[in-house]
Amino acid sequence: MATTTPPADAPPAEDPKLDLFEDDDEFEEFENEEWDDEEEGKDALQQWEDDWDDDDVNDDFSQQLRKELEKRSDN
Amino acid sequence: MDALYTVVYELRTIAEMADKEMSMSGRVPDRLKGAGSFLMKVFGTLAGKGSKRVGALYVTCQLFKVYFKLGTVHLCRSVIRSIETARVFDFEEFPTRDKVTYNYYTGRLEVFNDNFLAADQKLMYALVHCATSKVNNVRMILKYLVPVKLSLGILPKEALLEKYNLREYLDVVRALRRGDVRLLRHALEAYEDEFLRSGVYLVLEKLELQVYQRLMKKIYIIQKQRDPSKAHQVKMDVVVKALKWLEIDMDIDEVECIMAILIHKNLMKGYFSHKSKVVVLSKQEPFPRLGGRPVNS
Repeated sequence: MATTTPPADAPPAEDPKLDLFEDDDEFEEFENEEWDDEEEGKDALQQWEDDWDDDDVNDDFSQQLRKELEKRSDN
Repeated sequence: MDALYTVVYELRTIAEMADKEMSMSGRVPDRLKGAGSFLMKVFGTLAGKGSKRVGALYVTCQLFKVYFKLGTVHLCRSVIRSIETARVFDFEEFPTRDKVTYNYYTGRLEVFNDNFLAADQKLMYALVHCATSKVNNVRMILKYLVPVKLSLGILPKEALLEKYNLREYLDVVRALRRGDVRLLRHALEAYEDEFLRSGVYLVLEKLELQVYQRLMKKIYIIQKQRDPSKAHQVKMDVVVKALKWLEIDMDIDEVECIMAILIHKNLMKGYFSHKSKVVVLSKQEPFPRLGGRPVNS
C-alpha cells in the first residue's frame, strides 16, 4: 500500500495536546500602569438586574404556557 | 522597574515561541515551564522589604499567564498565598494595571472552583477598574463574570452582551427569564464547544435548576390568576404537561425528583405529597429569590 507523505512545505499538523493548553483568554498587556477609571467604573455597575424575577406573565412564552395548561388532557 | 518588566515579559513570550517551535519539530516543549521556574525565583527576590516589591504583582501576573498557558494552574496557589498573606505587601500600593490583571486571573480560578461569591467580587473588581479602551480584556472579564452572575440570580442586560459580542449567553439569559428549560438545553448544545473550552459549561448546565424554579413560579402564577383558592397546590400532572410542551419527556417520578431537589435547595418552599401527586406550596414566598447568593449546595 502506498503511503502518502505530506509535501515538505505544508504546515505541520496541530498537536492536539498543545491545543488543549492554549489559553484562549489570555489578558492583553496594558500600555500604562495607571489610568483614570472613575466614569468607567460606574457604568459597569449599572449593567446588572437583580429584580428581573417578577410576577409578570404577559410575555409570549407565558401566554403559550397558559394555553397549554388550559388544554384538556386527551386521556 | 521598567527594565524588569521588559525582561520578564520578553522571557515569557520568547519561551512561548520556543515551545511552539519545539512542538512543531516533534520535541517535547519545556522552555515555558523553565521560564515559569525562573520567574518564581524573580518573584522571590522582589518579595522583600525594598522598594522593588511593587513589581511583584506584575511578575505574579506573568506567572499566571505562564501557568494558564501550560494548564498547570494549581501552581498559582503558592504565589497567590504570598501576595495575599505576606505582611510586606500592601495590595493598594500596586499599579492599577497589575491589580486588574491579578483579579481577572484569580477570579477565573474561583470560577473553576465554584466559589461564586469570591469570583463575583474579583471579576467585578477587574471589570470596574479595567480601562474601557481595552475592549478585548473587558470582554474576557465578562465571559467569566456572566455565568457567575447568573449562578447568583443576577442577569446582565442584553445590551451588554450585544456590545461585547457575548451572544452565546443571550439564549441562556432568556431561558432563565422565561423559565424555558428547552431553550437552555438548546443554547448549551449550540455553543457546547465554546463553553467547554472556556470551562464554564458545567456552571451553565447547573442553571437548569433555576430555570425549573422560574417555570414552576410561572405555572403557580397562571393557576393563581385562574383560581386563587387552589393556586398553592400544583399537580404533578400539570408539570408533566408543561414539560411535554417544552419537548421534555419526563414521567411523574422524574418530575417528583426535580420538585424534591428544588425544595431541598430552597428554590421552592413547600412539600409534595407522593400519594396525591401534588406539590403544596408555602403561602409565603414560595419561590425565594437568590438575589446575589449562590444556590444552597
